[in-house]
Amino acid sequence: MAFVEFIDVTKTYHSGSVEVHAVNGMTFSMERGELVVIVGPSGAGKTTVLNMLGGMDSATSGTILLDGRKISGLSERELTLYRRHDIGFVFQFYNLVQNLTALENVELASQICRDPLPADQVLEQVGLADRMDNFPAQLSGGEQQRVAIARALAKNPKLLLCDEPTGALDYQTGKQILKLLQDTCRTTGHTVAIVTHNSAFTQIADRVIEVREGRAAREQTNEHPADALVVEW
Amino acid sequence: MRRAYVTEILRSIKGSLGRFLAITGIVALGCGFYAGLLMCGPDMRAAADALYDGTNLYDIRLVSTMGFTRADAERVRDVAGVRASMPAISVDAMARLGEEQMAVRIGSLDIDAAKASESQGASAILSDDGSYLNRVFLREGHWPSAADECVITADKAVAGIGIGDTIEAIYGSVSLDEVLVSRTFKVVGTVSSPSYPYTGSFGSTTLGSGMIGEYLYVAQDAFVEDVPYTEMYLTVEGADSLESGSDAYQELVDEVTARLEEHEDELAQARHDDLVSAAQATLDERKAEFERERADAQRELDAAKEKLDAAAQEIADGEQEYADGLAQLEQSRVQLEEGQRQLEAGEAQVASGTSELLAQLSSQGMQASTLAEARAALERSRDQVSEGIGSVAALEAASNYVDELKAKVARYEDFIAELSGEPLGTSIEQARAALATALETTRELAAELEELAEDPEAEDAVVRSAAWMAEQARQLETRLVQLDHYAELLLQAREDLASAQQELAQLEEQLASAPSREELEATRTRIAEGLSAVSQLEAAQRQVESSRTTIAEGWRQLAAGQDELAAGKEKLDAGRREYEEGLATYEKSRAEAQSAFDDAQRQLDEAQERIDTIEVPDLYVLDRTKSEGAATYHADTMRMDSIAAVFPFIFFLVAALVALTTMTRMVEDDRVSIGTHKALGYDTAQIAAKYLAYASAAAVTGAAIGIAALSQVLPIVVTSAYSIIYAIPLQAFPLPVSVPIALRSGLLGVGVTLLATWGAVVSSLREAPATLMLPRAPAAGKRILLERVTPIWSRMSFSWKVTCRNLFRYKRRLFMTVIGISGCTALLLVGFGLHDSIWDIIDGQYGPIIHYDTTVALDDDATELDARDLVDYLEGTGEVTGIVRVQQENMQAGVDAKGETIRVSVVIPQDEHITDVITFRDRRTHEEHAFAENSVMLTEKLSLKYGLAPGDTVLLFDQDEIGNVRGEGHPLTVTAVAENYVGNLVYVGRDAWASVSDKTLPFSTVFASTTPDDAVRSALAEDLHGREGVSTVVFTDETINLYRNMLSVVDMIVVVLIVSAGALAFIVLYNLTNINISERVREIASLKVLGFTRGEVYAYIFREIAILALLGDVLGLGLGILLERFVVTTAEVDYVMFGRSIHPASFGWSFALTMLFTLLILFLMRHKLNRVDMVESLKSVE
Repeated sequence: MAFVEFIDVTKTYHSGSVEVHAVNGMTFSMERGELVVIVGPSGAGKTTVLNMLGGMDSATSGTILLDGRKISGLSERELTLYRRHDIGFVFQFYNLVQNLTALENVELASQICRDPLPADQVLEQVGLADRMDNFPAQLSGGEQQRVAIARALAKNPKLLLCDEPTGALDYQTGKQILKLLQDTCRTTGHTVAIVTHNSAFTQIADRVIEVREGRAAREQTNEHPADALVVEW
Repeated sequence: MRRAYVTEILRSIKGSLGRFLAITGIVALGCGFYAGLLMCGPDMRAAADALYDGTNLYDIRLVSTMGFTRADAERVRDVAGVRASMPAISVDAMARLGEEQMAVRIGSLDIDAAKASESQGASAILSDDGSYLNRVFLREGHWPSAADECVITADKAVAGIGIGDTIEAIYGSVSLDEVLVSRTFKVVGTVSSPSYPYTGSFGSTTLGSGMIGEYLYVAQDAFVEDVPYTEMYLTVEGADSLESGSDAYQELVDEVTARLEEHEDELAQARHDDLVSAAQATLDERKAEFERERADAQRELDAAKEKLDAAAQEIADGEQEYADGLAQLEQSRVQLEEGQRQLEAGEAQVASGTSELLAQLSSQGMQASTLAEARAALERSRDQVSEGIGSVAALEAASNYVDELKAKVARYEDFIAELSGEPLGTSIEQARAALATALETTRELAAELEELAEDPEAEDAVVRSAAWMAEQARQLETRLVQLDHYAELLLQAREDLASAQQELAQLEEQLASAPSREELEATRTRIAEGLSAVSQLEAAQRQVESSRTTIAEGWRQLAAGQDELAAGKEKLDAGRREYEEGLATYEKSRAEAQSAFDDAQRQLDEAQERIDTIEVPDLYVLDRTKSEGAATYHADTMRMDSIAAVFPFIFFLVAALVALTTMTRMVEDDRVSIGTHKALGYDTAQIAAKYLAYASAAAVTGAAIGIAALSQVLPIVVTSAYSIIYAIPLQAFPLPVSVPIALRSGLLGVGVTLLATWGAVVSSLREAPATLMLPRAPAAGKRILLERVTPIWSRMSFSWKVTCRNLFRYKRRLFMTVIGISGCTALLLVGFGLHDSIWDIIDGQYGPIIHYDTTVALDDDATELDARDLVDYLEGTGEVTGIVRVQQENMQAGVDAKGETIRVSVVIPQDEHITDVITFRDRRTHEEHAFAENSVMLTEKLSLKYGLAPGDTVLLFDQDEIGNVRGEGHPLTVTAVAENYVGNLVYVGRDAWASVSDKTLPFSTVFASTTPDDAVRSALAEDLHGREGVSTVVFTDETINLYRNMLSVVDMIVVVLIVSAGALAFIVLYNLTNINISERVREIASLKVLGFTRGEVYAYIFREIAILALLGDVLGLGLGILLERFVVTTAEVDYVMFGRSIHPASFGWSFALTMLFTLLILFLMRHKLNRVDMVESLKSVE
């Protein structure tokens, strides 16, 4: 069994009397330790997939499994614990707490989960050893995103979910971040899922899931993914 | 303004209703409170004015030291500006009401006018009688109709007294008998009187505790006829159209007051003249009466004296009689004794005579031993002699008889011879025969002659011879009859002679041996002598016997006489005693009468002197400000005004802060839109106008709602709270809204909000449109001071760190929250603290300071002996301890003879044991002051009022009946200031008092402690009331209860404050939380995504609010202390000092309640937090 399984998952939103099928019979899987890129145009349903996978939203029907555990159908409280212990989340806009230093932002996450990685170590790992005591406002966008990644990693999650991690960053910095994510996946063995509209990212992925109109239109694996630094877009 | 613009504003209101309501709410609170509180005073004054006008309450009251008459009423009415005048009587008395005794005021009521009046609504009474002032509302029962009926107040309950019960007036400030017809009054109804609006005290008096506890209205005829009116009530022309207590009203009344004062002298003089002439007339009458009575009494005395003298004469006569009787008795006794002696001599004589006689008889051969025997013997002898003599006499008689018979025989023989014509010695037959022959012959001749004569021719001679011959014949016939008769007699006599001769012979024979007649006669004479001697002796004997009887009788009579005399003597003695008693009584009566007359004379003289020295009365012109009830009420409304002026500032401050933060947030939210507008070419003013319009819409709505609601609610709450102690009816709903106040309050509220809004908007608008289009750079995180304290900081969890940093990051919010919450806490603390301060009056006074719980006061005329008796009695009950005697004087205190004074109770303890029942100490240090003979201790409030400290001089003034200061005051040097809450007192040692008065102090008040048991106390009270001289018995518990009742007003205000504090807390915290959440939606969503549980999210967000609330709470306690102090000193009245400390529990409550409000709001705000969608975290920053 795959590490992550999406089996015929449907998500329907009710907007007035109109039913909108954001995800409609989505089926895909991921293996442990893979760098997965979920790609698709705006409105294809990738954010919904992200929400469901990240435990922020529940599926209308279908089954979602993570490491053999059924995620779909969990209660709100269980979902909270799921997010807490199993998921690391990297936001497009970093979502750091402005009033905490880099280190504290990492601790914010690590303090609530079962067996966190040491915050300073993680920050070192993401290359911010000497910026640990700075406030987000004192850091550049890339640095902030590094902090965000460190925050996600510190929880030692089963799955690292990244929502357009480079969306708010310039090209070079974006590359650096991608590199960091790729390296993280490689060196720590974390399963990393990147949600993006940028199909260029597919080159660095072990697995690419292309989403279109609420379905996994194509799912393919790369035997030899490219290094993040050499990818161009 | 363009329609699109208006639409946008409307939409923005709709889209942010919470924000809009927050501003509306706080402005409503601020304006409402300000307007509402400010209107309390005017509304209360208006209510009082309505009552005063509606009941035709007096504007001016005249009091004279000598009262008034109807004539005075007329005189006063003539003074310009006076509309109506009504004289009335009132008298203060100590009365027994059920179990209690208290001072009451008994006032006259015009019953006819009262009956004819009709109440209209709660504050007006209609009457046709324009001079019926101070009209009274009948609440229950009926008007008094008899002299012993009364109505009492309906506005204050006195335990155990209601309709049907009886009130007894015991004694008064003046002699009640001179004023009242009846001393007991049956309650027939209850009333409300505008003259007594303050139910805490109906006025002050010189009696009892100095406070009038109940008022009674009685009919005019309950007062003694001709008692002068004690006061006169006036209304001023035009005063009813002005509000009582207002400057205009006071000015108008002052004008008339001044005019009355101008007329004062002539009014007083008129009254004086009336009084003197009336009094003189009465006195003259009395004098005449006195003289009459004195004459009557003298007459009576004289009559009594006369009677007594007569009695004395009678007694003297009796005594003379008694003496005479005694002499007579003595004489009788002497006589009796003489008689006795004679008797004894007579007896001896008789005895010797008898024995002589007896001897003589014996010698004659008659043996006798007693006189009786002698007599018997003598009589026997006499009989024998008589017999002898009889025999002799019989012989002689017989012999005589014989002789007689012989003579008789001879005489018959003569007759016969004569008749017969025959010689003597012829026999009878012969004599008879001879005669019979003669007769025959004659008869034959007569018969022949008769024949002849019968011939008719016979001669006369023949006829005559015939008659003669017939006659001869008849004579012869008669002779013959006689002869027969003598013949018979002769025969008889011869026979008798024969028997007599025979008898004689016998007798002669018999007498042959008998003594002779002479002898017999001699014997007979002797016997007769003897008998006569016996008779004499017997007579003597009898006389002796009779004398003996007489003498015995004499002795008896003597004894009887003695008895009689003794009885007489006794009677005489009784009579004398009676007389003496009568005399004594007379003397006494005379003396008494004399002294009574002397007294009366003296009284008359004194009365005359009094009349001669009647002074022109003092006249006092008093307006409503001198009426305790009306003045207290007015002062309370003014106090309300000053509290109202300060209180709502918190609300305005918070309103400004709320507006500022809210509008800042709104502007921030609208950054892009503002930028867009700017880019589109709108100018600053136009853009700002939106926010100003938004804010004004909220503020104006809030102000309108707040003012409309609270200008009704607050005055109603406050007035009804005050109605516990004031009998002034609430005004009809809706209460008038004062336009100036409403405008002022509304403008203030709206202005403050707009100013804050302008402040919030103006900074953003200065930025260039381009910058505005970008999201505002998040405020940078900053290190705070606390981080430098590594040991603490490093131990804090990230969320605490965030909280701490956030607290200092948003300063506006910090201020708004801290000030708002501190306002909330402060309001609560003011409420609770006010409660404490006021209840501390009681709790601080009774227990820590006053240890006695029983006050027994004696009458003014009680003696030292009465007081000692009382103390002995109290000690004897075993239920009373700590007995201390003091003297209490009602005086006035001040620092300047011309300046203001206040009433004080001066207490002069008999000895230093006063400290056993009263603790004199400093309020702050609790250091106790010793009480010495030269001590002059002021209670704290009094010392504060005049700024007096130990060493300063206080003036104590005497006061007259009406409470006016008399004299220049007695200066005393203050030695200490003592903690005290109720009343203003001066404790003066005996030595110090000596400089005020040299009168001997009776120490007629006793302080003591009694076992706190109702049964014991009521038994004690009953005993004490029954005792001579005891005037009042007060258990402090009763006083405490009275205060508790009065002070329950405060609880109402506490409730108002708690509610408004809650509202304030709600608005501030709601607003804060709202802003906090909406501003940090992204952060919250991120945290949720990170796997924060609900609890952790709440803690993360709410901790901050809780800490701010906590901070505000603590600060509020400080603010509250200041505010409470202000309110307490403003609300305080002269008579009491409020407690100066707030209890720890009140701090606790205020703190806890604020936190409770905070938690409640946070609890409600959870939903908002729960609704934050995690998807927000994915959204781009605007």
